[in-house]
Amino acid sequence: MNVGLNQLLVASAALFAVGAFALVARRSAIVMLLGTQFMFAAGAIAFVAFGTFGLGTRTLGAGAAVALFAGATAVAELAVGLTMAALIYREHRSFAVDADRE
Amino acid sequence: MPLIGALPQPITSAPLVILLYVVLTLMIVSALTSVLVRDTLWAIGAFSSSMVLIAVLYLTIAPFLLFAVQLLVFTTVSAALLIGLLRRTTGLGRSTQGPLHRDWIIGAAVVAALLALLVVVLATTSWPIGLIGNAGPGVGEALGTKYVVGLAVLVVILASAALGSGLMLAAPTLPSLRGGGPIRGSGPRR
Repeated sequence: MNVGLNQLLVASAALFAVGAFALVARRSAIVMLLGTQFMFAAGAIAFVAFGTFGLGTRTLGAGAAVALFAGATAVAELAVGLTMAALIYREHRSFAVDADRE
Repeated sequence: MPLIGALPQPITSAPLVILLYVVLTLMIVSALTSVLVRDTLWAIGAFSSSMVLIAVLYLTIAPFLLFAVQLLVFTTVSAALLIGLLRRTTGLGRSTQGPLHRDWIIGAAVVAALLALLVVVLATTSWPIGLIGNAGPGVGEALGTKYVVGLAVLVVILASAALGSGLMLAAPTLPSLRGGGPIRGSGPRR
């Protein structure tokens, strides 16, 4: 039993699938934003996995640097997204993104 | 002669492998929980726990800087932003579940099992000291030399996101045709 590139990529794909499910299937703006965070994190894990066990080991620290950039971009996206969620709530008293249709 | 040379070998140390499998499984489970659970506060808690587990994963396979940034910056800032949003909108209601509720007991059992596994791994392997010593300076050097332009762009993105979200929240509320208005801090949480 070991942990290498394959296992980490499977976990990354599963996390990405969870995020995509949240984005597609849930109506709450907050849960959708959490889904995008999981998708960012899944990409970062894949980069780190390739940087540790794959061809990324040829350039030291490259995978981790990309993961840092992805994480910071995700936080910036979360800040803007949550502000938009607050505006949706202010308007509709609900976090549902399709509250306008009701 | 091979073109790329030999790639690093997978982790085979038994306690560390078990820890990694547990961390990966709990990470997926808590992510799924945060997506499926109805209560927003519980969703944020599960999201934060999955972010902490990602940090533990980084501690094993990535440079220490990434672990520290993931744990101290990304997880903390994300949780603070989400809690701040709840405080400004629906409010943070007290939990109706007592300390002896089944959910609390299950959560405490999982945390205790993970801590016990961590103790076993720390006692039987050189993790995380060996990994930190091997892979520490790489990412800092790369950020300061190869990716310095990207780092500067990232700082601009983060600063403009912080400024933009602050301005949006501070903007006066316009009268709404649908009956909305300023947030008073109470109401149903969805």
